[in-house]
Formats: sequence, structure tokens, C-alpha cells
Amino acid sequence: MNEIPVGSSARIITYTQNDSFTERLREFGLIPGTIIRLLRKAPFNGPVEIQYRSSRLVLRPDEVAHMRLERIG
Amino acid sequence: MPPTAVNTSTKHTAPNLTVALVGAPNCGKSTIFNALTGLRQKVGNFPGVTVEPKRGDAHIDKTTTHLVDLPGMYSLLPKTPDEALSIAVLHGQHEKLPMPEAVIFVMEGTNLEKSLFLYAQFAALNIPTVVAVTMIDSIKASGGVFDDITMEHALGVPVIGIVGHRGIGLEELREHLALRGFSRPEARQNHIPTDGNIEAQHEWARNLASEVARIPELDSLTTKLDAFFLHPVGGPLIFLAVMLLFFQAIFVYATPMMDAIEAGFGALQSLAEAALPAGIIQDFVSRGVIAGVGAVIVFLPQILILTLFITLLEDFGYLARGAFLVDRIMGVFGLQGRSFIPLLSSFACAIPGIMSARIIASEKDRLTTILIAPLMTCSARLPVYVLLITAFIPSATLGGVVSVQGLILMGLYALGALSGLIAAKILKSTIFQGSKLPFLMELPPYRFPTWSSVLITLFNRTKQFLTSAGTTILALSIILWALGAFPRHTPPVGANSTQIASLQLEHSALGTIGKTLEPIFAPIGFDWKVTIGVLGSFAAREVFVSVMGQVYSVDISESDENLRTVLRSAISLPTALSILVFYVYALQCMSTIAVMKRETGSWKYPAIAFVYTLALAYSASLLVFRLAT
Repeated sequence: MNEIPVGSSARIITYTQNDSFTERLREFGLIPGTIIRLLRKAPFNGPVEIQYRSSRLVLRPDEVAHMRLERIG
Repeated sequence: MPPTAVNTSTKHTAPNLTVALVGAPNCGKSTIFNALTGLRQKVGNFPGVTVEPKRGDAHIDKTTTHLVDLPGMYSLLPKTPDEALSIAVLHGQHEKLPMPEAVIFVMEGTNLEKSLFLYAQFAALNIPTVVAVTMIDSIKASGGVFDDITMEHALGVPVIGIVGHRGIGLEELREHLALRGFSRPEARQNHIPTDGNIEAQHEWARNLASEVARIPELDSLTTKLDAFFLHPVGGPLIFLAVMLLFFQAIFVYATPMMDAIEAGFGALQSLAEAALPAGIIQDFVSRGVIAGVGAVIVFLPQILILTLFITLLEDFGYLARGAFLVDRIMGVFGLQGRSFIPLLSSFACAIPGIMSARIIASEKDRLTTILIAPLMTCSARLPVYVLLITAFIPSATLGGVVSVQGLILMGLYALGALSGLIAAKILKSTIFQGSKLPFLMELPPYRFPTWSSVLITLFNRTKQFLTSAGTTILALSIILWALGAFPRHTPPVGANSTQIASLQLEHSALGTIGKTLEPIFAPIGFDWKVTIGVLGSFAAREVFVSVMGQVYSVDISESDENLRTVLRSAISLPTALSILVFYVYALQCMSTIAVMKRETGSWKYPAIAFVYTLALAYSASLLVFRLAT
């Protein structure tokens, strides 16, 4: 996520671990293949807000680290 | 007298039904709950060990429906205590709450995929259900169409479109409740994928959502407002401005009201003293009951202003944005963004601060915030600080600019705040350690608060404070009065009223306790007189000033100047510094203790808070006293 600038998009390839947290992400509809867009970052390397389909979600950077992403634009 | 075989039950009503409101967080459940129950709800709702879903009765056409507003959930595989509670109730496995006989399943019209995903899992329970889709006006306003017929066929249950704040659809929902118009989802028959495959459930939900409601990509108003409120530079500045206004509101705007209440009760005391003959009855009515009730009522302005402010911010959608902005900073101390509001309010008073900790969903974060809230310097400490600082610290300036007295005052505020944050870090890495809950937060769309919902919240918060914390505060005030008033001491002939008060206090149970405890407090420089002042502060910290006036027989009704002169000769500078540091830390406020008990549901947390702050206070005072001597 650190490499992705605000406003650009990426595709979720897979999750690097399988626990209740990544299960919750999938329940939110962030299943592999989903395209997400980075909307904004909070100050001091704080949480990020992403958009996917018609939903938005706030995540902490260390939690996004469990997503393997492929930048697409 | 006629025979007593009277059937009091009304014959025409159907048996009472228990109906649960189920839905994802923030889907509009509470609005529907409030609309159906009006002001008839029983208790408030806040997350925690004392999780207690909101309950209330809906009376429609001579029928009664018991409604339970279950905490919002994202799926039937629980990840948080709130979700676990909701799911236990739906399975009929909750200790106290009955299994609902039917469900109102609330879906957010502007985010149907999320709600339908939850429905796909919920359908497996096959509970009689009616679906209420909220915010259908938003779908229509943005050129979309809401197709409830297709949805009814796909879900297998009745579907009603609702616009909560305009009351649209609510009458139809009431009819369904009265006529018991629920159906079972019958998942297999209706091809709803209940088998636990998240991917398949999402696909079903996504397809159905796009079929029944054409929704624009995103709420454009929210996008525009977020560009403003969450601007990389402007966002934090706006946040600071909002917090300043907030602090101003509870600190400054509440003061005239609090002063008026205090003046009112003061007048009431004079009235009682004039009406009743001097003696124990007069003393009880004036200093016990009236002062005790006053001690409760005086908190209301701050609680009302704070609750109003937070409810408006929350309903508007800004609270979540504020939490987003400060989450990282609070994270340094093991806390989260939402801890910010309770801690900030605690600078005015820990009581509204602790009550506002309800906005924190994570139980451990909420308890940590409650436990450190008393270390934020509240306004009741200010009179104590001002008295001692002006009496003992020279009114010199450093380099002709910075006042030493001001510097010390600021240092005391900083000492409290910093200690609190460090305490949070320690608490979060010891007793509140544990598996980290996933931090997933949705920034809700901006909405205009509905006045009825805001007023209901204000009303409930006030009622809870008065009935629960208020009664405890009143009882403790009277006990403290009794300790100072008994046993009665017969004053020597010719003593003036100030001397009588001083002698009564010295010979009272409080005086005896002060003298008994003197050896314990001697190492930190407190004699029995100061000890009484510290004990008397349990009523409210600012009482220290008047108790000091009493024990030193100084009439302080005109000005504190005499008391300052007396204090300078009676106690040493190290003792004064020791008292100051003691007040920074010690939780000597029974109102805070009562509210902590109310908000955590047990005496355990107030006990922990009392002991750890006392230990901190004693060690810090010991250190300061030794260093200064």
C-alpha cells in the first residue's frame, strides 16, 4: 500500500495469511480479484481509506499489509 | 366486595411477540427502533461487558411487540463481542434475552450488497422475517429505482421501503408488526446461498443488489464534503477548530449555567437556614440534602452540552472522520481515534468524559479510556491549584515574560495528561492486553441529524445520570456530611460561628479519621488538617478550599486572601507542592467513582482506578516532598 499513491488503483491478488481478520475483509467483499482505489491517507502514516465497487472502508496500514496487491493504474 | 375472579388481561390482543432488529452497523436500525417505540424504551445502549441491547415496546392496534435492537453485525461468524451477543440471541443461546420469534431485518438502501450478504447467512436460521430497506429516497434522488417486488421474490419475505426521517413506510411496517406479517426465508427453495461460502454469498448479493436497485457509484455529497473535511492540510486544521469549539462549549459555555445552579442551591440553603431553627436538622437539610442534590444537578449542563455536541457530530458523520484523523496519534499510547473525545471532555469534568466513552466500540479501549480519564485535569481541581499556587509560588516572571505561576499551572495539566497516556500504554500492554480486534471502520455518508433522535438521546442520558449515578452521589454526599457533623461538639461560650465550625469539624468523625490517618500521610507532609481537607474533597475537589477555611477558622466568604496568609504560616512549601501533586493524581471524587460504576457495570473498575491513582498520588507526593525538603 505504501507504494500506491493516493488516487490510484490496485487489484487484490491474494491474502498472505488466513485468519479472522482476513475473513472479515472477505466478508466486506474484498475478495481476491477485487479492484480497490486508495482514496486518502490519514496524517502520520495513519489509517487509509479505500474504495471498491460502491463501498468504502478504512484500514490500518499494518492490516493492509496482509493483502498482496498489483497496481493497475 | 365482589368476588376477585377478575381477568385483568385484555381479551382482544394477540399474545405478545418478541421481535429483534437485525442489520449491519449504521444501517438505520436505531431510527426505526426509535420510531416504533417512541420514548417508551427501557434502557440505553452501549457496548461492553454490560452489553445490553436497547429494548422497548411497540403498541400498535391493541397489540404489544417487544422490540430488541441487536448490535449491528457484518456476518454470522462473529469477530467482536457485539456480534457474538447478537448471534447468541438469534440462536436462542443468550442467558437473559429470549430468542426472538420474528425479525425485522434492516438493510441500508444505499449499500444493499453488504446487507444482502448478511441476509444470505441469516437466511439459514429460517426465522420469520420482514425486511425494511432504509434510505430509499437516496436511491430515487440519484436517479435509481427501487424494485421491492423482485426483492420479495428473491428473499422469500415481505420487503418494505422506508424513509426514516420522513416517516415513509413506517405505517406499513407497523401494520406488519400488528398483523404478524412475517415469512420464513426458506433459503433452499429461494436459492439463497447459505452454505458459508463467502465468495458465493457475495456474488449472490452483488447480482441481486444490481437487479433491485440502480445506485450511483458513490454519494456525491459525501465525496465533496470529504474532500473538504479530510483534506490533507485543511482536515487536521478543521479538526482542531472543532475540538476548540467543543472544549469551549463544555468549559466556558457551561460555566454560567453551573454558576446559576450553584447560586440557586446556595439561595435555597440560605432559605432553609432562615426557615429552620439552628441545629442539626437545619444543618442536615442545608448542608446534607440541598448541597447533595446540588452536587448532582451541577453536572447536568456539561453532560447536556457534551451529549448534544457528540450526538450531532456522530449523526452528521464527523465523529468517524475525527477518529480517522487522530487514530495514529492515539495509537502511540495504545488507544484509538475515538478515545480522543472522552479524554478531551475530561479536562472539563471526568463525568461527561467517562459517559462519552460509549462511542468507543472496542471494550478494552473503552475501559482503558475510562480508567485514565480521571488523570486529565478537571475544572474542579482549578480552585485548589489556584489557592496553593497563589499562596506559595511568587508572582515573578521568567525573563519578564513567562509567569512562574502560569508555568506551574501548565506543568500540572501536562503532568496529568502525560501520566494518563503512559498509564494507557501500560494498561493496554498488561490487563487489557489480548488479541487485537480488526480495525475496520466505515466513514458513514454525511447525514443531517434528526431532532427527535437527538432529543431522545439527550433525554435518556439525563435520565440515566440522574437515576443511577445521581442517587449514589446524593447518598455519598449525605454520608460525608454526617461524618463531619457527628459526633456533636458543644462549643465553648463566646465562640464565633467560624470557630464553632472549626471545632465541630475537629471533633467530628471526619476529624478523628483525619487524626488517625495522619501517620500514613505524614511522610508526604500532610498533617491531620490537610488530611481532612483531602478527605473532604471526595464530595468535590474544590471543597478542599472551604474545608481548609473551616479547619483554620478563616472566614472565606469574602475573599481567599486571609486563607492564603494563614496557609503560608501553617504549612510549608514542600507540603504545598506535595498537595498539588497529590491532586494531579488522586481520584478523590465520589461522583466520578459512581459514574464509573454505572458505565462499567461493576465496582471492579472504579476500585482499580481508585487504587492505582492513589498509589501514583502517594508516590509522586512522597518524591516531591522529599526532593523539596
